[in-house]
Amino acid sequence: MAGNGHGQYKTFVGGIHPPYNKELASGQAIKAAPVPEKVVIHLQQHIGAPNEPLVKPGDRVEVGQKIGASDAFVNAPVHSSVAGTVVEIAEVPNFTGAKVKSVIIEADKEQPEFQKKENPNWESLSAEEIRQIAREAGLVGMGGAAFPTHVKLTPPKDKPIDTVIINACECEPYLTCDHRLMLERPEDLVRGLKLLMTAVGADRGIIGVEANKMDAARKLEELVKGENRLSVEILEVKYPEGAEKMLIYAITGRKVPPGKLPSEVGCLVQNVGTAIALFEAAAWGKPLYERVVTVTGQGIRNPSNFLVKVGTPISVLIEAAGGMVGNPRKVIMGGPMTGWAQQDTNAPVVKGTSGVVVLTSEVVDVQEEHECVRCGKCVDVCPMFLLPNYIATTVKRQEWDKAEMYGALDCFECGCCSFSCPAYIPHVKYTREAKAKIAALKKK
Amino acid sequence: MSVANSLMVTVSPHLHKEGETIQRAMKDVLIALVPAALWAIVVFGFNVVYILAVSCITAALTELVMRRIMGRKPTLFDLSAMVTAVLFAFLLPPTTPLWVVAIGVFIAVGVGKELFGGLGKNVFNPAIFGRVVLWFSPLAIYTQKFVKPFYWKDSGFFTPIATSISETAAGRVVYKTLAGGVTDVVSAATPLSLFKSGRMLTDIVTGPTPVGATWLTSSGRPNLGALFLGLKSGCIGEVSVLALLIGAAYLIYRKTIDWRIPAGIIGSFFLLNLIAWFYPVHHLFMGGLILGAFFMATDWVTSPVSRRGKWIFAIGIGVTTFILRYWSARPEGMALAIFIWNPLAILIDRYVAVPKFGEVNPPLFNKLPSLPEPSSQPAKKEA
Repeated sequence: MAGNGHGQYKTFVGGIHPPYNKELASGQAIKAAPVPEKVVIHLQQHIGAPNEPLVKPGDRVEVGQKIGASDAFVNAPVHSSVAGTVVEIAEVPNFTGAKVKSVIIEADKEQPEFQKKENPNWESLSAEEIRQIAREAGLVGMGGAAFPTHVKLTPPKDKPIDTVIINACECEPYLTCDHRLMLERPEDLVRGLKLLMTAVGADRGIIGVEANKMDAARKLEELVKGENRLSVEILEVKYPEGAEKMLIYAITGRKVPPGKLPSEVGCLVQNVGTAIALFEAAAWGKPLYERVVTVTGQGIRNPSNFLVKVGTPISVLIEAAGGMVGNPRKVIMGGPMTGWAQQDTNAPVVKGTSGVVVLTSEVVDVQEEHECVRCGKCVDVCPMFLLPNYIATTVKRQEWDKAEMYGALDCFECGCCSFSCPAYIPHVKYTREAKAKIAALKKK
Repeated sequence: MSVANSLMVTVSPHLHKEGETIQRAMKDVLIALVPAALWAIVVFGFNVVYILAVSCITAALTELVMRRIMGRKPTLFDLSAMVTAVLFAFLLPPTTPLWVVAIGVFIAVGVGKELFGGLGKNVFNPAIFGRVVLWFSPLAIYTQKFVKPFYWKDSGFFTPIATSISETAAGRVVYKTLAGGVTDVVSAATPLSLFKSGRMLTDIVTGPTPVGATWLTSSGRPNLGALFLGLKSGCIGEVSVLALLIGAAYLIYRKTIDWRIPAGIIGSFFLLNLIAWFYPVHHLFMGGLILGAFFMATDWVTSPVSRRGKWIFAIGIGVTTFILRYWSARPEGMALAIFIWNPLAILIDRYVAVPKFGEVNPPLFNKLPSLPEPSSQPAKKEA
């Protein structure tokens, strides 16, 4: 058996079992969120080169119209999510607080349906055509990292890809958007997977689902039955099962070396939402301008899964979910393990936004940082086998070479260390500091 | 929005494991020490309670005062001083005078922990530190007198044991008023000390200085049952292997301690004893091996953080304990072995490389990567 299979299901080494609280929203079917009066579309929503605006204030735009683009390869264009009028191009803080150039569009009162440009021959598209479609549609990884999809679909020539893995773990607590997509659109997910396989020439497609979504897994198993190339793999419920390297290891037993990409071991990993978006782009000509966002948490009156126009401020979503209840203490964009706490509810949804989680003061447990007591719990749970406590300690002493030695650059910030830390050390904060500083020092 | 003012912004993750606190871990250790403490009271009388009480009160006062003097926040509620106090008392013979207990625990908490910088910065396990300092101090003579189990049957359960103070005229008056008198005890040898003095194990149970083991085999062979259950003389906390294992099982179940450390210590120690044919099983049940392996060497602060480091550390302690028990002049070896390996824990973390996930040809030892700004001159941020 590949991977670490001590239990019933495959998994990785390390990790944690956070309180999942998925039942808050998992029963809620996806419904359209209200269209806001104004959308704020950041010109950079991805990792890579920023876009230049293709529109100016006063311009009319249609749904799905490209409004920002760049010639750089590592880039994803952005599209208008509404029909309306461009009112301003301005620097607006995004969900991390960084100011990015954005197109602000006033939406028409009446929003037309998106006009599908059906391509009945989507199944016979070539690899190059699929890559081109992914790029034109502005596809990025929708699990949160927002890496341009067409770049991932262009692996180095000397590194053939034999396996495409759909990341259907949704290991982040609270979030249910991928779960709902699998339940409501399993056929489109399988179609997206086939397109991904064609794009990279892989002969194996595996959908990795955590065992807490058996209803979705059964549906998908039914769909791939009889297709030799496709399979569904049930994985242990453990965080971060959906981290790229962990998922590849759990399913195939292959280990992506530090600093390397999945193509190193012949794998491509794409998120559920991305696969479905690729299908929509290929078969319907639909660019990525809307996505499913889970609005949930103990501080939300009616937890929901919304189909949201990119650029919608999260305040609109919170309102649509019945508003906040109890003692809201943290509003998080993304999941509670890796998401970004918000100062207010103004930040607009981007392509990588998987959820808006409102945690109440009963759930939030932030305490003053204590001196590290060297219990080693962070080391035990670290899926990358780093020494998080030493990274934190050496950053505090500004010993950057030691921080690198203990693995700061290999950290993908899953947060298992801080979750398990009896001294309440914010390891991720220190690791980010180390990464930035080490990168700056290496440039010298 | 009105709630926006009360929103908290911190770096992810935004969840924390319920009940994962320093205080909870210390509470776990205290709970795990209860069976051994109760057993000690049963076999060595109420005098043990006096020692534990003096140790705990002195530890609390020491921590409060020391942190006050050093301008640090009080941390009594993390319970670490209580853990040190109980563990320190566990390392003492039941006859230790209370003033020696107080001085010892002051050294343990005040010097061993607070002078090093408080919990997390201490290089030595504070309890072991206090005990080792006592050993090599003039006060050592007060910590050498052991008693037979159930010695109190003759003198009364609640009567304190006669000590240097209570033996003075003034002391007798005080003790008479407070506790109705004192017990003069006949000192007994521990199994390990008898063993060390050259006698065969059979002498321990049949010879002229019985340790009070009552469960003898008819053949006069050493009785493992007595050693295991704790019908022997020794330090307060170490006598009952059974009671210690009950507590240890709880700590492993709670994941407060890592099983690798006791496994490495006991495993390597047993293996060496087996090779040397040095009463391998008896040695497991004598002295402080079990107490040290499960409750002292597993101290978070003074053991390595990585699993690989923990194995090295544990095997190091096991081997050192064997060497000390086999060749040194002292019967005991465990506490000293831990004392020797405590400062090495940080070095193990620094130099023993932990292979990262997917690392190809991982090195055995850590090497500092070269950055333009080396860490030789750490910036001092706080005083």
